[in-house]
Formats: sequence, structure tokens, C-alpha cells
Amino acid sequence: MIQLQDLTKTYNTPAGEFLALRNIDLEIAAGEFVAIVGKSGSGKSTLLNMVGGIDRPSSGSLIVADKAIGKLTHNELALWRGRTVGFVFQFFQLLPTLTVAENVMLPMDFCGDRPASQRRRHAIMMLDRVRVADQADKLPSALSGGQQQRVAIARALANDPPLILADEPTGNLDSETSVEIFTLFGELAAEGKTLLVVTHDREAASMVNRTVTIADGCVA
Amino acid sequence: MIAPRWRKVFRDIGETPLRTALAVVAMAAGAFGVGTILTAYSILTRELKTTYSDTQPASAILVMDGNGVSDALIDGVRHVSGVSGAEARPVISGRLRVGQDQWVPVILFVVRDFRDIRIDRFTANSGAWPPGDDEILIERSSLSVVHAAIGDRVVVRSNDREQSVRIAGTVHAAGLAPGWMDHVVAGFVSWKSVLRSGESSQLRIVVDGNRLDERHIREVANRVSESIGKQGRHVTRIDVPTPGRHPHAAQMDTFLFLLGAFGALTFALSAVLVANMIHALLTEQVRQVGIMKTLGASTRQVATLYLGQVSILALASLCIGIPLGISAGLAFARFCASMLNATIADIAPSLWIIVAEVLAGIFIPLLVALGPVIRASRISIHEAFSNDIGRRPFGTRRFDRWLARIQFLPRPLMLSLRTAFHRRGRLVLTVATLAAGGAAFIAALNVSAAWTRTLDADARARRFDIQAVVSQPTAIADVAKALATVPDVARAEYWAEGRAMLGDTRVSIVGPDADSKLIDPVLIEGRWLMPVDDGAAVINQMVASRGLHVGNDVVLRINERIVRWRVVGIVKELAPRATIYAPPRAILQATGQSRDTTRNVRIVTRRHEVADQVTASKAIEQALNRAGISVDGIQALSDSRKSFADHLVIIKTALIFAALLVVLVGGLGLTSTLTLNVFERTREIGILSAIGATPRTIARYVVFEGMVMAVLSWCLAVIVAVPITFALDAATGQMFIRSALDFFMSPMAVAAWLVLVLILAALSSFLPARRSARLAVREAIAYE
Repeated sequence: MIQLQDLTKTYNTPAGEFLALRNIDLEIAAGEFVAIVGKSGSGKSTLLNMVGGIDRPSSGSLIVADKAIGKLTHNELALWRGRTVGFVFQFFQLLPTLTVAENVMLPMDFCGDRPASQRRRHAIMMLDRVRVADQADKLPSALSGGQQQRVAIARALANDPPLILADEPTGNLDSETSVEIFTLFGELAAEGKTLLVVTHDREAASMVNRTVTIADGCVA
Repeated sequence: MIAPRWRKVFRDIGETPLRTALAVVAMAAGAFGVGTILTAYSILTRELKTTYSDTQPASAILVMDGNGVSDALIDGVRHVSGVSGAEARPVISGRLRVGQDQWVPVILFVVRDFRDIRIDRFTANSGAWPPGDDEILIERSSLSVVHAAIGDRVVVRSNDREQSVRIAGTVHAAGLAPGWMDHVVAGFVSWKSVLRSGESSQLRIVVDGNRLDERHIREVANRVSESIGKQGRHVTRIDVPTPGRHPHAAQMDTFLFLLGAFGALTFALSAVLVANMIHALLTEQVRQVGIMKTLGASTRQVATLYLGQVSILALASLCIGIPLGISAGLAFARFCASMLNATIADIAPSLWIIVAEVLAGIFIPLLVALGPVIRASRISIHEAFSNDIGRRPFGTRRFDRWLARIQFLPRPLMLSLRTAFHRRGRLVLTVATLAAGGAAFIAALNVSAAWTRTLDADARARRFDIQAVVSQPTAIADVAKALATVPDVARAEYWAEGRAMLGDTRVSIVGPDADSKLIDPVLIEGRWLMPVDDGAAVINQMVASRGLHVGNDVVLRINERIVRWRVVGIVKELAPRATIYAPPRAILQATGQSRDTTRNVRIVTRRHEVADQVTASKAIEQALNRAGISVDGIQALSDSRKSFADHLVIIKTALIFAALLVVLVGGLGLTSTLTLNVFERTREIGILSAIGATPRTIARYVVFEGMVMAVLSWCLAVIVAVPITFALDAATGQMFIRSALDFFMSPMAVAAWLVLVLILAALSSFLPARRSARLAVREAIAYE
């Protein structure tokens, strides 16, 4: 599912050149549930951003879901992302002015793969899948942190992407909810989704199939 | 069913009602400003033209010798080839008493048949119609000059006799200049009026074919003149008013130009405002752009959403701005029409104005939004999730480092300065918005001040207090003897004066005494007359506008003789009358007047206040009357100055209106802009609160930053106001007095804008700053 070869990412900062990732070689098979761990500033989120097409590598090869995404244009990348990747963030990043169901419908709206008349029904199904269907017509601000993260996961599943990327998904949640979220991720992996999760949570990290440690921009 | 992304657009608009309201108000202010000016412009342009053309203005006025204009003569004229219509309209010139020994000039038109007026039409306004033989109808704009009401009796003096007549009513003659402005009473009397005696025999014609072709009109008028000659009468003068032009067309042009110019400036201001609003709107949406992009939104989809949002806001602002703008524009148009003695018959603004406003109101915001929206839509997800996207950290620019080295200022002041310069995009837009408003405001007041200074300079050029005109050429010794009996008179000069034709234009020729100290004209080119001059002339700018320059010969026809003088100088005068100054002996020789007689006296009084001039005028008139010298007119300089000033009222009104509009639009824009600036910084304010800043400290710091921006904008406004003022001075001066106004930067205008912008900046920063400072720290930091 994911093939990284000799991947390097350099940022130009006012303080000079900063090497965030260096010569990363990594392969993740479809259906794997992988945790990326490491200290703050080690390059975990940068790696996740590369895989999700949020950022582009400075050099090296990056193939995700059989696509060399480094060569895609911005718009091709957006469409690819919408169909191939589901993102889950630490701070949920739900759009505050849309209801829970509308937030889940939004990726379908952008990619336009599913007929408009079926989108709400599908969104409710996704919400039901993460056990927050009863909150469908509420605004995100009315939900607890755990519920919001479940909605974010439902949104990540909206276009049925093969790959789920999560950046510190439990960083803003209590331990009980964190376990719930990782259990949910495990269920998704069992269904054949590939999950790549950046986390600091040692207990949660123990629930994954594989752990990749990043230190100073390299795979340790 | 509306797609979720469009629901987001609507909900975003509704989510922050205050911010939405500010954006809509700022845009609506622009639409209101532009709408007001365009509406007034369109209504006035159309109505002034139709009001005047509806009077069926005479193509030519023929002045004949002898008394009376018979019906037979008029019938003959009507049969001349090219004549479409002809009417007798003798004119009685005289004076009308408005108080104890106080007189104003009066022009009374004698009407053959009040039920059949076809040329230079006028309509009943109030009172009786038609007037009786011992009655007059007063043009409505002259009533305030007469100081009398309908039904009152007034005394008219003409041709050395006084007659009491009753004011029967008022009329509206849209083709006449407003009486209050010219300080002349205009009226109408019947064919058998008791006032008729020794009037000027005049008839008016309207030509067939192209009524706007002056050459054609003159050809027809000449044929009429020949025809009248065959009937034993002699045409002494043919006046052809500029076809299609109202007597005060120059004022209207200047006024309408100013409306147009400030319409454009308000438009520019509103465009900058809109850009500012959109910038503020997009700044806070950056993170959401990132989220949408992670969900698969393309650049085009994101851009469409925000352009849609801008369109919705623009539509909302139009719904407020256009009706208000049209109402205000109509009210202003009515006021201006009354100033120009016109009536607005059709209040509907032109359709193109509404269409243009709607299109501009939608497309201008979209146009100015296009750049920022595309930039925001193209932003990478990585940048969108970074806090300081696209912003170079403070200290990476040389200016930042220079600013950072300033350590002696109080810390809040340093923080304000550095924050202001760090957020350059916001700084540039805010400063540009304020500067656009400030420049327009300062320019409006500058031009107004330049007109006042032109008026003052013109008054300074005439160093006498009173000008008297006697009915007949009178021995200078007799006039001097009469004036010697008036203690208020310090000295008098008796200048040679006459009339001449320059091509088809009548010009005044004036011969000041060689050593006269009573005139100190404003020279544009060349020099003033010298005692040794012979055959030299100084022309005013009205004559120069016919293409004459220093060194050219000016060729005049005086008493059917051709006279050629060399132009040695050009002077600038406020009076829109073509005047040529020449040595007295040259004028006496050309006109055949006697050296010992005069009709014009310029008098210097011992005291120069307005009241002194009025008192002296009465005393002088009484003294001349006692000496048996009949006075045609006597005018204090203060009165002629007031008349000039009244001619400028309409222009100054336009300028003050423009300045107020700019203050309103700019003020609203400034308030919204600075308020949004503070909204943008809620998170930063939360951090300051978290580290111990009191609400008072935060408010002080934010207000100071607003004032830094205000001062910067003021500096820019002063610079930008210079070319705008130059352009407006040149354009309005050329239109009205055929000469550019002298550039003047009004310190009052510059200071007023500084005070205004500082107050507005302080107020519009303080309120949102206080609100933000009172937010709980957690709320402020979590603010999106």
C-alpha cells in the first residue's frame, strides 16, 4: 500500500536549512495497522504528511496505493486524497458551522462519486459505524471530545478510502476514550483498511500490528 | 437539497453576525456612496438638460434701435427663411427698491401674450397669471433678493422715472440664471405695463434645422436683421447664446464633474474596502481551507465557495446600499436643482445607473476578491495548518531588525509597532483604505479652499469699495463735485470703459488710469499695463481662451471700426466676463468718448467694512441725485464679492457633500476594518491575557496599534491628495473660469483628517479590544 524509498524532506527556515526526514525507506502492506512513534520534532508528522500528499518530498520515491503521488498536480492530488486517504487529526478539525452529518457528507460532496440523494444515508451509516449516529444533526460544539473524534473518523471513512492516516488522534482525549478510538481503528484494520497512526500514547501503540520509530528524521 | 459545502457558506455568514454585519455595512457604505453620486449625477444631467430645453430657448436675440416691436414686424420675421418662431420680448432694465434708499438691479421682460409663449418659456409658480398692467411677476429665485412677498408693492426705477407696481405672483423661468445668485431681480410684465418706456426693443427667434449649430443660427439671424432693415428698423446687436447651454452651464459642468470625480474616488475607496473585508474574511478561513483540502476539495472548489460567499455578502450590501444611495442621491439632486433654478420632473434614476451599480456592486468585490481567494485556495494543507502561514517570521527583514533595535519606547508601544509592521498584508490594506478616504476628504477641502482663495485674490485685485454707473456720459467735474459732498468718499477714479466685439463675442473694454492704485490683477502671463503703453492690451483668461497669447494682436470691432491692440499680459479674474484692459486714451479714441466725461466711477471709501460700504453707497447715490445725475447702478464691492461667492455655492456644496460622503464611507470602512483586525487577533490577545496583561493594557496596546495605522494612512493620504487636488483644481478651474485654480494644500483639511482618523481609529479599536480582553483566556485562545 505504501512504499517509501530514500525519502528526504528539507525545509528552508530563517535559521537555515532543516532536514526533517532523511533517506527514509519504508513499506507498509495493505491492511496493516501501523503506529509511528518518536519524540517531538523527530519527523513523525512530516512523514504522515508526505504519505497523505499534504506535503511533497524534497527527494526520493513515494508510492501510495499504487500511485506515485509526488508527480500529481494540486488538483489531481486533492481528488486522489479525497478518494484514497481518510485523515484524522488531534484537534478533530470538524467544520464548526456544519452539523455532524454534514461534516461527514462533505468529502462525498467534494469528490462527487456518490449520488447526492444517497450521501446523507451513507453519512448516517458511517456515523452509526462509529456509534454516534444519534448525534447526526448536532453541531460539533455540542459533542464531547471523544464523540467529535468519532465523527472525524466517520468523515475519514466517508469515501471508503483504503488508507486512514491519523495524527495524534488521541492526544486530546482521556485514556478510556483513547482505547475506544484505537479499538475502532483495529476494527477498521480488520476490515482491510490500512492505518498509519502517529501517536505518543504507549498503551494505544501496543494495540497496533507494527510500530515504526522515527528519530532525528530517520527510521530507527 | 443544498450541498453541505454551500450550507457551510451560508452558516459561516450567519455564524458571526457581527463580523458579517461589519463586512456588509462596509460594502454597503461603498455602494451607498457610489449610488448617491451616480443617482444625483444621472438625474441632474438628464433633468437640467430637459428643464432647459423645455423652455424652448431662443436661438438668437436681436436688439433694435427705436421703440416698440410691432406685430407686423414679428410676422415678417416669422416668414424669413430658416426662422421657426419669433416673439417680441422687449427688456426693461432698471433698479428695484428693496429698502430705504437701497436698490438692486432689475430686468423685466415684456411679454406680448402670456397665454401664448413659445420662446424662452416660463410657467406660473404662485399668485396671479397673467399680471395686470400695474403688476409684475417675479422669477421665483429672485423673490429672496426683492425682500417682498406676493401682494406687496415695490418701486421700480427705469429711464429716470419711478413707478410703484404690485407683485402679482411668481413664475419659474428655468432658462434664467437664479436671481439670488446673480443678485439681479428678474421679472415679467404685460404688453401694456405702466413700466414700459424707453425699453430695449428686442425680439427672439428660434431657427429651423440644427438648433445647436451656431454658424447656422448666425446666418439666419443675419437674414432676419436684413429683413428688419427693409422694414425701416436697424438691428444694433445680435446675441447668440451658446446653443443648448444654460447661462450657468459652466457651474453645472463643474458641479457634475466634481460629482463624477468623487463618485470615482468613492468607488475606488469602496473597492479597497471590499478588498480589506475579503482579506479579513479569508485570513480566518485558512485552517478550514486546509481541512477541506484534506477531504479532497480542489483549488477550484474552494475558490468557488469563497467567491460565492463574497457574492452573497455583496448582494446583501447592495440590498442596503442601493435603495439608500438612490434616496440620498435623489434628495441631493433636488437640492442642487433648486440651487440652479431647475425642477426635477422625473425622479427615476436612469436604468443604466441601477444596472451599473448592481454589476459594479457584485463584480468589483468578485474582482478584488479573485486574487486573495485564488491565493487562499492554492494554499497547501501544510501551510494552512501552520499558525503563521505565508508570513515571514518577525526579524527576517531589515526593517524588522531596525524596529527591534528601538528599545527606548514603552513596551506596549514597541509591541504595537512591531505587530503592525509584522502583519504587512493587513497593514497595507488598512492603510490603503484609510488613505483613499483621507485623500478624497483632503482633496475636497483643498479644492474648496482654493476657490475661496481665488475669490479673495479677485477681491484683493480690486482696491476700490464702490462702483457707480451713471445713466448718461456726465462731466467728470460734475461727478467729482457731487462726490466731494460725501464725507465717506476718500477718492475716486474715472476709468474709460466701453463695449467691443471680438469676433461674435461681446467684450468689455476697460481703461484704468495709468497710475491707478485701484487695480492689482493676478497675472497669469506677461505684464500689466504701463503709462508708456500705446496700442497695448491686457486680456483676461476668458478672452485668452479664444487662443490668444502674449505677443498676439487682439482684433476688435468698436463702433463699426476695426481696432488692433497687442496683447502684453493675461490676467486671471473670477468674473466669467470677457474683459480687455487697455490704456484710457486708446479706449477714448476707439469709442469716440470725450476725455472729460464718464459713466463709470470707482470709489474708495474711508472705511471698508461691509456696513460702511452700504452706508456710503446710499450717501453717494443721494449726492449724485441731488446734483441731478441719474444713477444706473451702484454696487459695493462686498455685494459683488457676495454675488461671486453665491456662484460658488453649488460647487462648494458638491465638495462638502463629497467630503461628508467620504467621511461616512471611510469612517464606516475604517471602523469595520479595524474591528476586524482586532477579531483576527483574538488568539494573540488571549495569550497576552494568559501572561498577565490586564484588559486595560490590552485595550491600550490595540488602540495604539490602530493609531499607528491611522497616522501612517494620514501621511499617505496627504501625499495622494496632492495629485488629486492638482487635477481637480485644474479641471474645475478650467470649466468654470477657464483657468486652473492655484494649488493650495489646506492646513485645516490636513489637520481635520488627522484628528478625524485618530478619533475613528481609537474608537473602532477600543470597543473590540475591550471585548476581546474580557473574553476568558481559554475562549480567546480557542477562538477560530
